[in-house]
Amino acid sequence: MATYRPFWELRSVVKTFPGVRALDGVSLALRIGEIHALLGENGSGKSTLAKVLSGVHQPDAGEVFQRGELVVLRDPHDAQTRGVATFHQEFSLVPELSVAENIYLGRLPQRRGVVDWSAARRGSVEALARLNVKIDPDRKVASLSVAEQQFVEIAKAISRDMMLLILDEPTAALGPAESERLHGVTRVLAQQGTAILYISHRLDEVFAVADVVTVLKDGKLVGTNARRETSVREAVRMMIGSDLEEHFDRRENARERPRLEVRDVRTENRVNGVSFAVAEGEVLGFGGIAGAGRTEIARALFGLDRITEGDVLVDGRRVELRSPGDAIEAGIALMPENRKADGLFFNFEGPANITIAGLGAIQIGPFLSLTRERRRARKLMQELRIDRRAEDRSVRFLSGGNQQKVMLARWLFARTRVLILDEPTQGIDVSAKQEVYRVINELTADGIAVVLISSDFPELLAISDRVAVVRSGCIIHFAEYGELSEHELVELAAGGGANEVAA
Amino acid sequence: MRERFADALRSQVVGPFLIMLAVATAMALSTDRFLLSQNLKNVGLQVAIVAIVAIGATIVILTAQIDLSSGSLVALTSVLLADIVKNAGLSVPLAALLMILMGAGLGLVNGFFSSYGRIPSFIFTLGTLAIFRGLAFQQTGGTPIFSVSPQLDPIFYGELGGLPLPFVYVVVLYALAWAFLIYTPRGRQIYAVGGNESAARLSGINVNRVRTEAFVIAGALSAVGGILLTARLDSGSPNYGQGLELMAIASAVIGGASLFGGQGNIFATLFGAFTIVIVQNGLNLHAVPSAWQNITLGAIIAVAVGVDMWRGEFARLLVRLWRRGRAAQDEARPTTSTSAEDDVQSRP
Repeated sequence: MATYRPFWELRSVVKTFPGVRALDGVSLALRIGEIHALLGENGSGKSTLAKVLSGVHQPDAGEVFQRGELVVLRDPHDAQTRGVATFHQEFSLVPELSVAENIYLGRLPQRRGVVDWSAARRGSVEALARLNVKIDPDRKVASLSVAEQQFVEIAKAISRDMMLLILDEPTAALGPAESERLHGVTRVLAQQGTAILYISHRLDEVFAVADVVTVLKDGKLVGTNARRETSVREAVRMMIGSDLEEHFDRRENARERPRLEVRDVRTENRVNGVSFAVAEGEVLGFGGIAGAGRTEIARALFGLDRITEGDVLVDGRRVELRSPGDAIEAGIALMPENRKADGLFFNFEGPANITIAGLGAIQIGPFLSLTRERRRARKLMQELRIDRRAEDRSVRFLSGGNQQKVMLARWLFARTRVLILDEPTQGIDVSAKQEVYRVINELTADGIAVVLISSDFPELLAISDRVAVVRSGCIIHFAEYGELSEHELVELAAGGGANEVAA
Repeated sequence: MRERFADALRSQVVGPFLIMLAVATAMALSTDRFLLSQNLKNVGLQVAIVAIVAIGATIVILTAQIDLSSGSLVALTSVLLADIVKNAGLSVPLAALLMILMGAGLGLVNGFFSSYGRIPSFIFTLGTLAIFRGLAFQQTGGTPIFSVSPQLDPIFYGELGGLPLPFVYVVVLYALAWAFLIYTPRGRQIYAVGGNESAARLSGINVNRVRTEAFVIAGALSAVGGILLTARLDSGSPNYGQGLELMAIASAVIGGASLFGGQGNIFATLFGAFTIVIVQNGLNLHAVPSAWQNITLGAIIAVAVGVDMWRGEFARLLVRLWRRGRAAQDEARPTTSTSAEDDVQSRP
C-alpha cells in the first residue's frame, strides 16, 4: 500500500494570472499507491494545480519535487517523460482508429521497418488487462461506449510507464455503473504502484474512492485529511468557508401570476421530465454540478434542443419552440454562458449589439432608423450604466462586466418576458458582479421572470427567490429563499446526504 | 449623428479610395495614353460589369461565405440569353428578365446547399463553377452565338440624360445595395451572421436563410453582369466571364471586406473594382501579355487576402517593436496597460 515517502511533492506553489492568484502557496504530497482527491468550488485552483503537475503551467514561486529531488517541468512533454499522465474530460482518442492504434498512437512497435501489429495487439491487451478490462484491440474506438473509451485512454497512458495519473472530472460523462467501473480501475492502478490525483465535484464518489482528501479554496489550501478522519459535511464546510464577504442586494419583486410554466418537459439531450413555474418578477435559481442538465434545460426552453414531450406556457399561452426565433417571439431569451463566442458581435458597436434581437422596434416602414436606434440604445446604456464609449466603438473593447450588461440590454430591448441567465457573473470582477445583480433587480421590477443558472452557490442562494436543485436532468428539490443553506445545496447537487435534507 | 455616420463611412472607404488613386496615378505617370478621354471611358465601361458582380461577391463574403461560380454564371447567362433571343425569338426585355430569375434560382441552389446542406460554400461553388460553364458549353456546342439582336446594343451603349447607361446601372445598384445593407433589418442581419454566427443564431436570426438569400442576390447580379456583357459584345459565348469571380472577390477584399465575414463596405468594393480594372487597363496599355496580366491579378488577390488575414499579427508586431523601442528609452517607467494591444486587433 501507500509508501510513506512522497512520490511527487509541491511546496508553497504560487501561480498568478492577470487579476487572479490561482494558487497561493499550496503544498501537497502525492504517494505511490494512494488516491488523493482534490476538492474545491469552481475557480478554487484545482485545475491550475493539475496543470502545474502536468507541465502546462509553470509556477511563479515554489518548488516541485519528484522522489525528493527538485524538478522543473518546462512543458507537458517534460512531465510526460517523467511519468505524469493527465486524463481530461475531453478525450484525445482518434475515433476512426482501432483500440491498438490509439494506444500506440505515434509510436507503433516496428520490426524491420514494418509495423509489428501482433506486438501492438499483445501490448494493448496487456495494458487493458492491468485495468481488469477486456476490449478487442481491433475494434474501432468510435464503436466503444464512453466508459470503454476512457479505459482505452487510461491504457494508453499506462502503456507509457506512467507513475502519476491525474484524473480531472473523469466521471462527468459517465453513468453510475460506469463510474463504479472506473473507480475499480483506479483502485487497481493504485495497488499496482501508481500515484493518483483525483479531481471531482462529486463528493459522494470522492469519498467512495479516495484515501486522502485535500480541499482548496480561492487558491489556498484549506486542509488535507485522511478520508477516514473526515466527512462529506466537513469537506463541504472547508470548501465553502464560513465567511461570506460578498454582499448581495436582493429585492423581492415576485408577484403572483406565473410568467413561465414548464410541464414535464423532456429532450433527447439530458432533460428528463422537468416541471416548474416562474412568476412575474421572480428569480428562480438552478443549482447543480457541471453536467447536471441545467444548461440543457435552458437550451430546450430557447428552442435549441427539440422538446420531445411536455408543454411550455408563457403567460398562460402554450408556445411552440422550434428555434431561437420562436423562443424570442414567445418572449423567452437566453443569455449564454460564453458571451464572447455566443453573444457579442465584435464587428458592431454597442447600439447594433443591443438592437439586433429586436430590429422591429427601430423600423420605419421597411427601413431601420439609425437615429432612433442610437437614441434608444443610448437610453438603455445610461439606465444600465454601460460604458459610454460603447456607443461608437466595438464592444470588443469593453470590460467583461460592460459586455455582460450589453447582453442584458439586448434582451431588455427585445421586450423579453422570460430571461434565462447562464452563468452571468462568470469571469467578471466583484464590482461588475454587483452591477449585474442590480440589473437583475431592475429586470424583475419590470415583471420579467428570471431563470438563473449559476455555479457560484452563495450567489445563487442570495439572489434567487426560489432555488431548484438539478441532478441528472431532473429537478430533485425546490427550496424557498432562506430555506436552503449552501452546505445543503452542495450536498444535494453532488448527491451526498440528499435524504437528510429532502426530509 | 449624421456626421458620425459619415465619419464611419469615410474611415472604411478612404483606404480603398487612396489605393485606387495611387494605382491610377502610377498608370497616368507611366503612360500618357492612360488619361486620354477615350481610354478613361473604356475603363468606365469595363468596370461596370466587374463592379456589379462584385456587389454580390461582397454580400456573400459579408455572411462569411464565398461564391466562386459568378464568372461561370455570367457565361451561362450570356449563351442562354443569346440563344432564346436569336433562336427562340423572345423579346429582349422578357429574355433579360428570365435570365435574372434564372440567376437568382441558381444562386438559390448555391445558397441552399452551402447553408442548409452544410457543404462548405468554397467547395460547393467550386463545383457549380465547373457545372455552370459546362452547361454553357453544352448549350452552344462550344461555339459562340454572334449578331444576336440589334435590340441588345442600347442596353449597354445607350444613355440616360446624357449619362452612359453602365454608369447609371452602377450608381443605381450600388445605391440600392448600400440602402439594403445599412438601412434594412436583413442587411443588418447579414453583417451579424458574418460577425458571429453563433450569436446571430442565439439572437433569433435564421442564419441559413440569411446566407441563402445572399447567394440569391449574388446569382441575380451575376445574371445582370452576363446580360450587360452579351449586350456589349452582341454575342453569347461560353468563354465569357473567365476569372470574373476572382476579380469580383478581389474587388471586395481590396475594398477591405474580411473573408471572415461581418466587415466590409459596399462603396469600398466599388473602389476595389476600379483598382483592378485600372491595373488591367494599364497592363494592356503597356502591351503586357495576357499571361502576365493573369499572374498580376493573382498576385494582387493573394496580397489583398494576406493583408486581411495578417492585419492582426502585423499590427501586433508593430506594437511590440514600438514598445520595445520605448522600453529601451525609459526603463524606469513600467508599462501599465495592455489596451494598446487590444486596440490594434480590431479591423478598421
